[in-house]
Amino acid sequence: MSVHVPVRLGPAESKLIEQLTAAGAVAEAERLTGSGLPTRRVEAYHYTDLKQLLRAVPELAGAAEAASAPALRVAGAHQLMIANGIVQESGTAPAGVIVGKTTGGVLSTRDDIVTRLNNALVGEALTLELDGSVDPVIQIDRRTEGGAGHSTSAAKIYVGDGSSAVILDTYSGSDEAHLGNHATYLALGKNAKVTHITVNLAGSKATHFASNEYHLAEGAQLRTLIINAGAALSRTQLFPKYEGAGAHADVTGLNLVSDGQHADITMDALHAVPHTSSKPLFKSIARGRSRAVVQGRLVVARDAQKTDAKLMSQGLMLSDEAEILAKPELEIYADDVVCGHGATSGQLDEDHMFYLLSRGIPKAEAETMLVRAFLAELIDPIEDQALNEALTDVVDGWLARG
Amino acid sequence: MARYDIPTLKEEIEDDTVEKVLALDVENYKYGFETKLEVERAPKGLSEEVIRFISMKKEEPEWMLEWRLDAYKRWLTMDEPTWAKVHYPKIDFQDMYYYAAPKSSNRPKSLDEVDPALLEMYEKLGVPLKERELLAGVEQPRVAVDAVIDSVSVATTFRAELNKMGIIFCSISEAIREYPDLVKQYLGSVVPVSDNYYATLNSAVFTDGSFCYIPKGVRCPMELSTYFRINEAKTGQFERTLLIADEGAYVSYLEGCTAPARNEHQLHAAVVELVAMKDAEIKYSTVQNWFPGDKDGKGGVYNFVTKRGDCRGDNSKISWTQVETGSAITWKYPSCILRGDNSSGEFYSIAISNGYQQVDSGTKMLHLGKNTTSRIISKGIAAGFSDNTYRGQVSAHAKAKGARNFTQCDSLLIGDKCGAHTVPYIESRNASAVFEHEATTSKISDDQMFYCMQRGLSEEEAVALIVNGFVRDVLQHLPMEFMVETQKLISISLEGSVG
Repeated sequence: MSVHVPVRLGPAESKLIEQLTAAGAVAEAERLTGSGLPTRRVEAYHYTDLKQLLRAVPELAGAAEAASAPALRVAGAHQLMIANGIVQESGTAPAGVIVGKTTGGVLSTRDDIVTRLNNALVGEALTLELDGSVDPVIQIDRRTEGGAGHSTSAAKIYVGDGSSAVILDTYSGSDEAHLGNHATYLALGKNAKVTHITVNLAGSKATHFASNEYHLAEGAQLRTLIINAGAALSRTQLFPKYEGAGAHADVTGLNLVSDGQHADITMDALHAVPHTSSKPLFKSIARGRSRAVVQGRLVVARDAQKTDAKLMSQGLMLSDEAEILAKPELEIYADDVVCGHGATSGQLDEDHMFYLLSRGIPKAEAETMLVRAFLAELIDPIEDQALNEALTDVVDGWLARG
Repeated sequence: MARYDIPTLKEEIEDDTVEKVLALDVENYKYGFETKLEVERAPKGLSEEVIRFISMKKEEPEWMLEWRLDAYKRWLTMDEPTWAKVHYPKIDFQDMYYYAAPKSSNRPKSLDEVDPALLEMYEKLGVPLKERELLAGVEQPRVAVDAVIDSVSVATTFRAELNKMGIIFCSISEAIREYPDLVKQYLGSVVPVSDNYYATLNSAVFTDGSFCYIPKGVRCPMELSTYFRINEAKTGQFERTLLIADEGAYVSYLEGCTAPARNEHQLHAAVVELVAMKDAEIKYSTVQNWFPGDKDGKGGVYNFVTKRGDCRGDNSKISWTQVETGSAITWKYPSCILRGDNSSGEFYSIAISNGYQQVDSGTKMLHLGKNTTSRIISKGIAAGFSDNTYRGQVSAHAKAKGARNFTQCDSLLIGDKCGAHTVPYIESRNASAVFEHEATTSKISDDQMFYCMQRGLSEEEAVALIVNGFVRDVLQHLPMEFMVETQKLISISLEGSVG
């Protein structure tokens, strides 16, 4: 009955199709030709309309030349590097760590353009096998270097049964209009305990996509902290899957956006078996004319009785031009669960400000104190002291730039 | 009573609650009878000719026909929305009738002239079509009813009495003929012609519904209500309701709906527009009880409804209350546009699904003016094989300084073959806007909780009491027939709530 209009492709889409075709991913190219980039009508991209926001895609990046200094240094960390998608040689691995390389995509296939592009365009992936109690922080320093380029990186990490590790992913590079699409596949064995931190400090003209897929076996404990502070447009996607009884994750994230930035953290979590728990907590601070997005979806499968999940999204607005958009979704098919979600947004509490000002603390300082208090919930649980300090510096640096 | 097996049931859920939900068992649908009436229909299917036929039958002026045809042209270019969490086979819009009217419905002058078969039907449905006189010394709640069957309004009661106060209450078809200026001014001003697929379809083919205008400063002395009934097979119902409360006016309006039990699906695509001017208040309550389909999910009404209220003036208030128990598929989001400063919107919803029903319902609160407030209380209860989704949007425009929203949605699952989902969209574009969205039961005012609990109520009892308190405020205004039914539903407590 209705007249169907074929999807009109923009320059970004045409370039991606060209790149997919050149990489031999003909099926993906056709798929994109048929659907185009997702618009706000696609629920998962409701607040990050890629058709509008992604105006241009640079040429595929070549091998990286001289790399700049890492954006974030953590004392004592063991550093690995992926530059423009290419896994670099690294020094001797610490005890319990096996570093390797593999080819092809690392993410599960899903109906999502960012992960599909990553799987189709990634050349090689870094592999890590962690066993026992891995002592130093393992840092994967991912760069987009040289002139503006489209680069794709991937890492596949296995953490053995009963092992523990702290993994830090950092994203930075030269100040060009890069498009970086990064993937991390992280599987936790039985009773493994992992902290996974990602810090996006991409350049101010860059577009940053990251997709993290987590698999939690029985009794596995995961803590994540996603910090989106860089890039003009960034979207970090989290796909935790709770596959064994007793698995628990504190999935946390933070959008720090200033004038002209758009940052999105989207989680799609699946509680697949009984007796798992999660506590996703996302915060956003927006200033200037900017937009912070948090989308969280908790799916509790039919059999996943006794799931205990509480999803929280909090927004703090520091300017009248800022936008904070949240969509905390629950999709529940099991009847004996405790699931909840909450969302708040507002500005700094006037009473709190008054209290501090009346005690002679200057306005800027009082604001900083309150913002730090707002963020303490995310940073404090990071036990490694050097890492905790490095992350505090990232936040302080962002606050100071305001 | 329990015809469905409930393999696993949480211990905390009281038997009473289960029984009450199962009492809504689709097999027990008591309005499923069909009344044999002689009817006149438009040719089957949808085309310009059918729209001209409807317009001609309604003796509409030329501008109305133009409006309809324009909507039809737009509709042809639109796609069916797919974002809702409902699944159904594609609707064949050519395989139904867009106009059906009882032959005897040629606007009887008084109720005495109404076809007795019709009166009997309404009697059976428990809808009072007789204007009961006030008994000496006995205050009876009175309700003015506009009765709409299939595509026409057959009777409107208490018109003369309302007219004395300047209140216009009639079917929309009459309003188009008799008050064209008012209709022209407001029709489509809240839900634009091209708002969405079903609203556009409605604009093209709407047949009847109610029109109500409350003049400046008038408090409507009785409840106004419309009772919708789909009687004919293979007939879609496209109602259009327009309510205007002028400055300082007040009106409470109720709506009820039922349909015969049939094997095939029937489409109901309504548009309701409310306009509240400065200091005006509108309360709009719905008890939606369309045929939900049988226990195997066969038949049932597809209920695709666009309801929106515009708080156009300062200090205006619009309150939606809905009790949703019927329909195979519900797709309905009664919304408030909070345009005037200090205006406020409310949405209270109880959605209960059983059998193979699918509900995707919620609200939109769009804060545009300064110091606007809104409150959303939604309870979804799913049983059988049903899916029950709350979908709600709260947004603050950059100019909506001091906007405030409180949202609470609770869901309860009974049995392990159903699903309960919550999809809130929270969009803040103003730093001074304060939004709170809570899906747990602990965030009702601590003071109220404290008060109830120190008098010996358990936390759950206290929550139930407080939530009921909010809703009851509106329910008190429902006519007896609705209130009894609704209170039965609301007495279902919150124990074991999730999300």
